[in-house]
Amino acid sequence: MDPPRDMPTVAFTRQDGSRYTLGPAEGRPLVVFFGYTHCPDVCPTTLADWKRAKAELGDKAARVRWVFVTVDPDRDSVSVAERYARQYDSTFVGLSGDAPTTAKVMEAYGVAAAREDGTPGSGYLVSHSSQVFLLDGAGKLVALYPFGTRWEALAADLAQLL
Amino acid sequence: MLMRPFRVLAAGAAIAVLAAACAPTETPQGRAVTAAWARAADSGATGGAYLTIVNHDSVTVDLVSVATALAASAEVHESMQHDGMSHMMPRTSVSIGARDSLVMAPGGLHVMLNQLTRALAAGDSVPLTVRFSNGDSVLVRVPVRAP
Repeated sequence: MDPPRDMPTVAFTRQDGSRYTLGPAEGRPLVVFFGYTHCPDVCPTTLADWKRAKAELGDKAARVRWVFVTVDPDRDSVSVAERYARQYDSTFVGLSGDAPTTAKVMEAYGVAAAREDGTPGSGYLVSHSSQVFLLDGAGKLVALYPFGTRWEALAADLAQLL
Repeated sequence: MLMRPFRVLAAGAAIAVLAAACAPTETPQGRAVTAAWARAADSGATGGAYLTIVNHDSVTVDLVSVATALAASAEVHESMQHDGMSHMMPRTSVSIGARDSLVMAPGGLHVMLNQLTRALAAGDSVPLTVRFSNGDSVLVRVPVRAP
């Protein structure tokens, strides 16, 4: 991303009542993905890739903020989103906002989502932007990774930021 | 000396277990599931699994359904990427050509396990029945991997 792009700050409420802010945090890069927990393929694949990238970075990865934001807050409660992200790594953060917060963060990141017909078994499906966003500690968007990008690319870019 | 027969039996049993774990599950007409894995997931959540199916037969066959007792329903879906968006659609049948194979993989064809009836943890296995258009079916034990 050249030049790096300033991103708006968006705050979420967590299950324990605390606030979690997607925004600048000195020395702490932010990795963000938008998806939904009923997603059986693309979202789990992305979070599993983060797990590999985190392992590759070793101790330095502790400074990275890894955040999954649901675009399906009607089905993904705050606790469901948190638990979903934690399944992959105890430090991964899952966020579910109310409707205005979800709309705000999606607009800020240029993320789209649309409900699609599923089956009686699956319920509705959700098409959604599938890239991973990388922000530096100053809250600037420095890279975007389309789905399918190998996790090593994210790990290498994070290593440069850390 | 007395221990030797036991050791031989134990080794034989271990080999039998290994062989069962690695053996492809094949229908009499030659459709085999040669690789399979599922992701760990919570009870009640949506799970995902991936199969490799080889059609050794000389005629095309369709994969028409999958089923497991560990989910309210199981379906074959396909993910597609278009203009930075991920889309997914149910596939009611997928053709496998004569002497060809179907390889499911992340970002493409996969099995969607809706409303898991129990949590799937690494080391578990999911019994999955795979049915084909000619009436063939195979029961596969799909090993669960860490998410």
